[in-house]
Amino acid sequence: MIPVDSPALDRSGITYTAIDLKRKRKRGESTAIQHPLSRWRTINQHRIYSSKLLDALRRVGRNDLPARSRGRAIRVAADRALAATARGGTQWSSAILSGRPIRLKNRRIRSAGGGRWKKPSGASKSCSKMPAVERKVKLLSRLVPGCRKLSLPSLLEEASDYISALEMQVRAMTTLAEVLSGAGGAPAPNRPELDSATLSPS
Amino acid sequence: MSGRRTRITEDEINELVSKLQSLLPEARRRAAGRASAAKLLKETCNYIKSLNREVDGLSDRLSGLIATMDSNSAEAEILRSFLRS
Repeated sequence: MIPVDSPALDRSGITYTAIDLKRKRKRGESTAIQHPLSRWRTINQHRIYSSKLLDALRRVGRNDLPARSRGRAIRVAADRALAATARGGTQWSSAILSGRPIRLKNRRIRSAGGGRWKKPSGASKSCSKMPAVERKVKLLSRLVPGCRKLSLPSLLEEASDYISALEMQVRAMTTLAEVLSGAGGAPAPNRPELDSATLSPS
Repeated sequence: MSGRRTRITEDEINELVSKLQSLLPEARRRAAGRASAAKLLKETCNYIKSLNREVDGLSDRLSGLIATMDSNSAEAEILRSFLRS
């Protein structure tokens, strides 16, 4: 728990206080305060995530699930591990941890505005009078978890962080898959963010 | 995005959205070029969707692999020790 009045130092060296976060949240602003490009590219972050991911995989592995739903269960577990690694401060991570309903493709999205939108989210042609930019912003807000009601600047900040996090998730899951499939037991050479110390025995 | 709040000007939108371009990987960035806000937003959405598809694919791949991992928990322990150090 971060004490209310003392600064907390995170690994990237940026200080912030719980009060700052609280104020930002009250104003409906995104509280993603670290630069997403560096935040999700550290070896440490990758390691933390991989560790949580592995725990989650073993939990899934213990259940007797048919192959099809196992893949789905792993996706959910991997997302929760990712959100946990984010350590708060973003809408998308809070939304995932509070158990957002699973997003299903090719389903009609119920409109919050009382029935104006009856088209599936994948429709690209629209006779709506909404300008193109606004339509795309709406689409983006549906892709990033928990961000449907954010202002544009906050939405873009959340999207930045979410994208960087997803990229790390891909790197980590790929590496794990390669290690588990016994592909030499070492990370692929074109991953500069991992040094050999990460995966070789100490 | 609510219309009830203060309207953001088109310039402000364009400025904010142009920052998205730096998030896109090189290939997509080139395709976007000097793109409009709408085009950049669309590319961003496409990129997120493709990342999600990639994660789904990896999840399926891992689901096959953990089946074998369970039968050899020594391997899993070695992995854990790598990640702990």
